[in-house]
Order: sequence, then C-alpha cells, then structure tokens
Amino acid sequence: MGEFAADRHVKYILSVEKRKDDFESVVMEHLRLNGAYWGLTTLDLLGKLDAVDADEVISWIMQCQHESGGFGGNIGHDPHILYTLSAVQVLALFDKLNVLDVNKVASYISSLQNEDGSFSGDMWGEVDTRYLISCFSPVKNKLLKNLSYDRFSYIAICCISILQRLDSINVERAVNYIVSCKNVDGGFGCTPGGESHAGQIFCCVGALAITGSLHHVDKDLLGWWLCERQVKSGGLNGRPEKLPDVCYSWWVLSSLTMIDRVDWIDGQKLVKFILECQDTENGGISDRPDDAVDIYHTYFGVAGLSLLEFPGVKAIDPAYALPVDVVNRIFFGR
Amino acid sequence: MADRVHLEEESCGLLLELEHILDSDPLIDEVGFIHPTQLAALIGVVDCDSSGDLDTLKFFNRDHKLGISTQILFPLYKQAKIIFFDEIERYKKQTGISGIWGDETSLQRCKSTLDELEIGVMKHSKVLLLLSADLATAWNSRRAIVLKKDTLSMYMDELRLSELILSYSAKSDQAWSHRRWVIKRIVGKLPNLQEVIGKESKLVERIAERSKMNYRAWNHRCWLVSYMTGEQVVYELKNSRVWAGLHVADSSCFHYRRRLMMRMLEDFCAKNASVSVGSSSEIYDIWKEELEWNKLLIKRYIGREALWLYRRFLSLHWLRDFMTQLDSVIFLDDELHLLHSCSIIPDSDFDDFQAQAMYSTTYILWLARQLSRSHAIVLRQKLQVGDMKDLLNSVCPQRSFFCDMLEE
Repeated sequence: MGEFAADRHVKYILSVEKRKDDFESVVMEHLRLNGAYWGLTTLDLLGKLDAVDADEVISWIMQCQHESGGFGGNIGHDPHILYTLSAVQVLALFDKLNVLDVNKVASYISSLQNEDGSFSGDMWGEVDTRYLISCFSPVKNKLLKNLSYDRFSYIAICCISILQRLDSINVERAVNYIVSCKNVDGGFGCTPGGESHAGQIFCCVGALAITGSLHHVDKDLLGWWLCERQVKSGGLNGRPEKLPDVCYSWWVLSSLTMIDRVDWIDGQKLVKFILECQDTENGGISDRPDDAVDIYHTYFGVAGLSLLEFPGVKAIDPAYALPVDVVNRIFFGR
Repeated sequence: MADRVHLEEESCGLLLELEHILDSDPLIDEVGFIHPTQLAALIGVVDCDSSGDLDTLKFFNRDHKLGISTQILFPLYKQAKIIFFDEIERYKKQTGISGIWGDETSLQRCKSTLDELEIGVMKHSKVLLLLSADLATAWNSRRAIVLKKDTLSMYMDELRLSELILSYSAKSDQAWSHRRWVIKRIVGKLPNLQEVIGKESKLVERIAERSKMNYRAWNHRCWLVSYMTGEQVVYELKNSRVWAGLHVADSSCFHYRRRLMMRMLEDFCAKNASVSVGSSSEIYDIWKEELEWNKLLIKRYIGREALWLYRRFLSLHWLRDFMTQLDSVIFLDDELHLLHSCSIIPDSDFDDFQAQAMYSTTYILWLARQLSRSHAIVLRQKLQVGDMKDLLNSVCPQRSFFCDMLEE
C-alpha cells in the first residue's frame, strides 16, 4: 500500500485549471463550476485553499450567474440548479456568501419546485406552451414531474439550507416526494419506481438529514444494501454487479455515516483501495487502480478518506459535502 | 498573426464542410471519432506514408456512417462554439425585439433575420452536440426553437439526433432527457403512441446490448412503463425475458422487470380493490413463472448477485401479496431447500460457489427480516438462528451482524 500523496494531489489540482488547449479539456467547459467545487473542496480538505486566488475565483463565479438568480456551469451557459449549488458551495468555502443576493438565488430555487414537492433541474422541466416566446427568459411555472430528479431535491435543499432560507420552499412536500422514491430494498431511485443507486441514495439521505427527516429511513435495511456494495478488493460499487469505483467511497460512505452504520463496511480495506488508485508520481486519483486520474475522482477519494478519519485530511460533513469547519461557520458563526 | 487568421479560416472551413455533410445526408445513423490512419484505411487511400497526406483527411461518410478525424476535433469544436454562442446571443436579443416592435415592415424584417438565426442555431448546435453530447445550453436552444415551431416533423428530427448521439455516447444524460422531453411534447399529437413507446423500448435494448449496465438507458425504459397499456406491459415482460437470460449480471435489466411486475400488481389491485391476489388470475401465473425462471437461472449461473437480489423482490411480494398462510409454509420450505443446495461449496471453482453460498444465505436472512410477523415467525422457526450464524460466519464473516437483526 502506497502512502497518501497529498502534496502531489494539490499540484495536480492546480495544474488542471491551466489546461485549456486540448479537446478533452474544452468539452468539459460547460461544467467548469462543478470542477471548481471538486478541486477547491479537495484543496480545503488538504488545508491548501490559500494556494488559489480567491478574488479571481469569486469574480469568475459571479459572471456565471444568470439574471434569474441561477448559475450556469460557465460564463454564457444556461443556468441549472446543479451549478447553482456548486457556486454557493464554493462561495461558502471562501466565506464569501455575502456577495450573493440571497433572495434572488432562493427565489430561483423555489421557482423550480413542483406541485408534488419535487424539483426540476432547470426551466426545461416546463412543458406549458404559453411560454413559447419567453422560453429564453426565466419562467416561474408549474413544472412537469417526470423531468425532475431526486438529486435535484437534494441540490435544492442543500443549497437553500446553506443560504438559510429553508422556509422559501415547501419542505414537507419535498420530503414526501423523496420518500415516494424509496424502494423495497431500502434504497432510493431518481424517480418513484427508479432503480436504487448509491448516488441517488446519498442525495435522498442527505436531503432527509438536512431537513431532520431521517426517521423515514429504515436504517438497517438501507445499511444492508449499502454495505453489500463493498467488494473483495475493498472498494465500493454503486449498484449490484458493478466494478468498484472510488467515487462511491463518498456516495456510499457518506450515506452510511448519516444513518450511523459506517462500521458495517471494512474501513481499512477501503482506505487501501483508495490509496491504490493514486497516481503517486503526478498526483490525482482515478476510479480504479491503474486508470487515468481526474479531478472528480480525486475529490471523492479525498472526501472518502476524510470520512474514514485519515490523518492529514480535514473532516467533511456527510450531508453538506463541505468541510465541517465551513458548515460550522455558516450555521454557528464559527 | 497571419498564422492565426489562416487557422481560423481553416477551422471555419471544417465547420462548413461538416455541416454540408450533415445536410446532404440526413440519414446518418452512426458517428465515430477516428484516428487519421484508420480514416485513411476506411477511405482506401493506398499511399499515405507521409503525415502531410494524413492531415488532409478529415471526414468519412459512406452508407450513412460518419467518421471525423481526431486531428480536427479541437479546432472544429472551438469554431462551432464561437459561432453558436454568438448566434444564440443575437437570437435572444432578436426574440426580445420582435415581441416589442409593432409595425409591419420592421416585424417582417425581424422575422426573416429570426428565421435565419434559427436555422443557424439548429445547424451549429447539432455540430456542437455531436462533439460534446452533454452541452445543455445547446440542447436548450434546440428545445426553445422546436417548441416555438411545434411541428411533428421537427420533434421526430430531435429523436433522430438524440439517437445518433446515443449511438456513440450511450451514457449522455442530456440526450436521454431530450428524448423524454420530446415524447412528452408529442404524446397528444400522435395517433400511434403505443408504437412509438414500443420502438423506444427496443432502442434501449439495442443500446443496452452495446453499453452494459447503463443506468440511464434502463432508467429511460422504466420511465416508458407509465405510458404503456396493460397488454404492452405483459408483452414487454415476455419479450425481454430472453435478453435478460443472456445478461444475468445486468442488474438494471432485472430492475426493469421489477418495474413491469409492480405495474401489473398495481393495475390488478386498482381493478380488484383487493389486497391479496387469487390463484386464478393471470398475474398469479406470471409471478409464479418468474420465480421458477429465476430459480433456473440461479442454478445455471452460479454466484450472480443480480439474480439473488431479484429473488428477494419476487419472494417478498409473492409471500406478501399472493400467499395464504398454508401456501407460504410450502413456499418457504422450497426456499430453504434452495439455500441448502446452494450453500454447499465444492472444492473446484471456489470463488463462484463461495459467492453463491453467500448470496443464498443473505437472501434467506433478508427475507426473514422483511417478512410480515406471521410469515417471519414461520421462517425463523425453520431457520435455526445458531445454524445461520455459523453459515454466515463461514461464507461472509464481515457481515455476521446480519444475524443480530433477526434476534431483535
């Protein structure tokens, strides 16, 4: 088992930002705000957030905001709830939530809540023909249920909770919708009747945790399904029969932490698996040993190690997916 | 400086060339990014030793298959992006203006600019999406224009484009979601909705064949179930069985069956207003057959997690919704028999049999935890908790706590 190459990972993250001249990096431009969240949270977990120029990041983020209050994945791209959460999370990392017009962001999010309590990811959940002409401008409208996903419920709830405006959405309906996505195996799918998936489970359990509604979860049954995700190598998969993948170190482990069943998996074996996925020479973590590294898996690997209380990594909050000290600063003013 | 201008002109030429190919062959059904040497082989260039020759090869288009040289992807994408975002800005402005200005001539002038801009946005967004399938802003721009025109043929074109993109980017969330958006838009417009739903289901099967355990594809197929008629549900269940039998490790295809089975059960309960299903109904036979088929697969393919998890679902509902107390005793005896036959580990093929023993043990324990009180009592009496602990300790010691849940 190799050692944890923290310094190399920091170097890798800083280098990713500078890559702009090949096809692989430009086709990811549309989700740059997600990338920023993954990279910067990792830096913070490793205690190296000061290696980046905060003002530069914040000024770029604010240019991604649309007049509706939502954020696009990059400058000029359409707003989506996904990138709105990333923007809020990154601002929280830098203790700069005060640059936001909170009411505007909160109203963008609440406008995406549907009758049944679910959330649409953006205005395109909308199907009403009355908005033919104004389809490029923000619309607040009844959105159709089937385009919304449970992960949007989490994203909306997490985002609005960080902004401390939970009262601007209908929490009861949101919780009821999430509960309607529960399966007989104890897991959750992305819509009612959807297949259980560790990523979706994290979103549902996270949203329920934030709203104080974890009593809706059969913890033993869900824990059963989640701990069965650990395979022989020690890694975790996201669904039955799949290969292990470092990103599930986060999705599965954070869910197990929230339902207090983290000791149902073998933590030592998981640490070993994550460390084996490092590129110890150039930094970064990949999905499986010997694959190419990327920023997404680097974040989830480090976040997984954080939940496993690995030395040298700051503690992360399993529901908000932000360092615990950042969450404390938001809610308790440190 | 002169070099840069030259490069920009060249990439603009690439974009025009690709758009021309797409225009002249609307039936393209496959796209691939190909290394120039492979491209040369496809085109049949005999002598292409020098790299200079290879650089001139850019596209391949024959029999409705499109190949794009990997060498030109970067300049092509950059150019398409610049033009697309520029056009979309102008389009947004124009849609704003045409709504405000009132007089006839300016409205007329606006309209022709608007039409041109729309054609441009549709063309350039198509190229961009071929290169970057999850670029939501490009999909959004298409939805806005298609919604405005609202013609069936445009909606069908969108289904074709999304299918083309899925042919090589089968996990594109945006391409799948675009299909659902289109289908929802055309539901009321089609005389043959069931045919479209049936075709859609077949499309998922074809894509799932190439792209194994594709969550998004199967999620799409599950979404279709709510648009199916009762007959279609039964047809789907019967027709997708062979496929499932050949892909026993694809847990998602069994979830699709779960969804179909639950839909039948829900329909039955709604119609009959009863909680338990009698043995004379069609669904009773189908459920029984599914259990037997699943057992057959379990015995044929040793140690497959997906099959055992599917059995948890089938057995739980079978006991809950179909069985009388007396029937359930017989059924549980059969299940215990299955457990005993599967928990014997011969010396050969150690791994698979070890897995089989583990899955069969956790299957029974899971059932014992999830069953209603009366059924659980029957099962727990049959299972000696001490024996189960020993078994669990031998096949998966790391999960010995599963037994503790039975004692509560």
